[in-house]
Amino acid sequence: MKLDLTKDFAEYAKDLNQASRDANIQKAMARAVKSYRDTTAETMKRYPHTPDLALEVQGIKTNAIENNPDLLQQAMASVERNKGKAFYAKDAEAALALAAQIIGKGKTVVKGKSMLGEEIHLREYLEEQGTEVWETDLGEFILQLKKERPMHILSPAIHVPREQVAEIFSKFFGKEVPPDIAAEVAQVREFMRDKYFTADVGISGANVVAADTGAMVIIENEGNVRLSTGAPPVHIVMVGIEKIVPTFSDAMKVAEVTWRYAQYGIPGYVNIISGPSKTGDIEKVTTYGAHGPKEFYVIFVDNGRSLMARDERFSQALHCLRCGGCMYECPVFQVTAGHFGYTYLGGIGSIWTAFVSGGLEKAAPLLYTCLRCGRCVERCPMSINVPEMVGQLRKMIVNGEQIGDGDLTLAATVGNASQALSS
Amino acid sequence: MAVETKLPPVLDIIRSNIVKYGNPLAMKGSEVASWAKGLNLPKRGDILFYTGGEYQLLPFIDSLVKTMTHIDQGSKGFSLMMGVRNILDKAGFNAEKVYASVLAKDRERYNRVCNKAAHILQRLGYDLCYPGDEELYSGALLYELGFWEDLKEYAQKVVDMIERTGAKTIVCLSPHAAEVLKLIYPQMVPGFSAEIKTFVEMVWEQRDKLPAIPTSKPVVIHDSCRLARELEVDEEIRDILQAVGVPIVEAYRNKKWTTCCGGPSKLLFPELSHTMGSRRVDELEETGAEIILTSCPYCLASLEGGQAKGDKTTVEDLIEFLYRGFAA
Repeated sequence: MKLDLTKDFAEYAKDLNQASRDANIQKAMARAVKSYRDTTAETMKRYPHTPDLALEVQGIKTNAIENNPDLLQQAMASVERNKGKAFYAKDAEAALALAAQIIGKGKTVVKGKSMLGEEIHLREYLEEQGTEVWETDLGEFILQLKKERPMHILSPAIHVPREQVAEIFSKFFGKEVPPDIAAEVAQVREFMRDKYFTADVGISGANVVAADTGAMVIIENEGNVRLSTGAPPVHIVMVGIEKIVPTFSDAMKVAEVTWRYAQYGIPGYVNIISGPSKTGDIEKVTTYGAHGPKEFYVIFVDNGRSLMARDERFSQALHCLRCGGCMYECPVFQVTAGHFGYTYLGGIGSIWTAFVSGGLEKAAPLLYTCLRCGRCVERCPMSINVPEMVGQLRKMIVNGEQIGDGDLTLAATVGNASQALSS
Repeated sequence: MAVETKLPPVLDIIRSNIVKYGNPLAMKGSEVASWAKGLNLPKRGDILFYTGGEYQLLPFIDSLVKTMTHIDQGSKGFSLMMGVRNILDKAGFNAEKVYASVLAKDRERYNRVCNKAAHILQRLGYDLCYPGDEELYSGALLYELGFWEDLKEYAQKVVDMIERTGAKTIVCLSPHAAEVLKLIYPQMVPGFSAEIKTFVEMVWEQRDKLPAIPTSKPVVIHDSCRLARELEVDEEIRDILQAVGVPIVEAYRNKKWTTCCGGPSKLLFPELSHTMGSRRVDELEETGAEIILTSCPYCLASLEGGQAKGDKTTVEDLIEFLYRGFAA
């Protein structure tokens, strides 16, 4: 098979150049990088145990990825024990089909921010199915209106300044919204409030999953996740299988390291959700759907992750906590934002692109953009060696190797896992 | 299923030049070694002085990049032009002839870097040998760009070249060469066990013998990524400057947190590379220092390229700066 990427590279180079000349991107990134570095330095000083905790979490994640198939079984059993319903989706299609089946026709969905959602194009898919979907994270909502993809995993609209937000909102809400951040936020709050309480389904991701208890840990600041997972009668969690760790206390450690490296001393909210809402207040009879959702579903998505887990050259990429710290230190990202990316962004994003979202073809230009300078490794709480993996993938491209070449165990493992689920 | 992927042509041009001519730009061995004329360095000895041809090719890389910045690499014109260059190369690409008029001054300067480095090491008491026009490039770019299969074969040639000198220690001027020889070669060439040192480490060991450099103006150090992170050489540069009595100011991002000069993306994304170079120059200039020092050929070229017109700062290689003490 032949694949000519010369045009892709040329167009991509133009896009990078354009981004690096875009005054909005430069202004926003300069602010973001400075704020990230200052806040993180201050936060680390206040919580000096963090680097040691990060080392401990490296151990937790390494073990968890090695034992992922077992932990997945455990986590699914825990969810079921908690009166939720657990599913395993081997790829994006399976995940989307499951979600669509649970949601049903003609419904309204409020959605929390999720990179997995971006990976499988969840919103676009549901909208095609006739479902009304609202992104409740402010940044994602701006991009939903702007019809653009996220430019940072935590601050998706990092590249859009308030003036532009005001223009977008004025058009959408059909009235003058001033370029004042407080006014912009208030406008969305008012609009979204109604959506939370009329939506049929809330969808969220999860930052960490504890296998022993089936607890989903979701970190947030806006409060949109509390509302979208608490108000509608149905809650669906869609989460990558790499997020599972053995115990509840492991999950707390992972969560703390995640938010600390995402520049928070403590985030506004940490949601821990492990099943449908219930009460036993009347005659000790357990009844579901008290104030929160009556139905609780978890879809564990693989979509290339188990392939990564089994390849010792790349399994460390699954340790990524998505704190986003690396991106602020990346010299390319600092001038291009998410233009250095496909769905997943930056150097680590090029590895993820190759395995779960686009394949080597889409990853190739990103892989050759990475400077292999290694500063991301210094920042990364998991010390993920991105330059090493970028080198390996460049070698694979040059040699004409494919992701998963020679992985004979894949079919067998995936087959077994699906079987175990349906039984 | 094997997939044959067509990447931008510049990658394969670099690859085939290294494999065929022992140099990324297919320079002649005599051109690479011209800096050593008159020094009469022996071809055999305990310490191999290894330039890898990297400082020597800098002015030519910049020409290539200048050409590429103005031409769409996906276009037919580009492939055609690179093809013509390739044909020229078959007889040995005489880069000097092609660019002589424009770059005589640069060529002279970068060649002198090798000369000065040898001079400094000799004055510090090291007996150096140099293989002259037999010297081969390290192949670092083959590793960098994914041509690992080519590197396996090529590395053997480089090791043969090294073994002919009988050297036990190899002094690398370029941290890229040091990285690939120290960390990658042992995996590719069984039994390769020469001691790999950077120029900085060799000088650091004998820093007490360095002549002082009289100046009260502070310098700022741009740590090269490879040197500071992979090779973990950063304090050594500070020690050396202290030994010669030169005050240092530190950039906000330095040592293992150093900012990349943008050099690695020069071939594929020249404009972006230039932007990153300028930004790093800005970071370094924020310290108020007027002299920016680095110890890597690509950092040297990228930072110089990133200077704005009328900048008061000068970018120098550590080699050039230390040589001031001997020239005084």
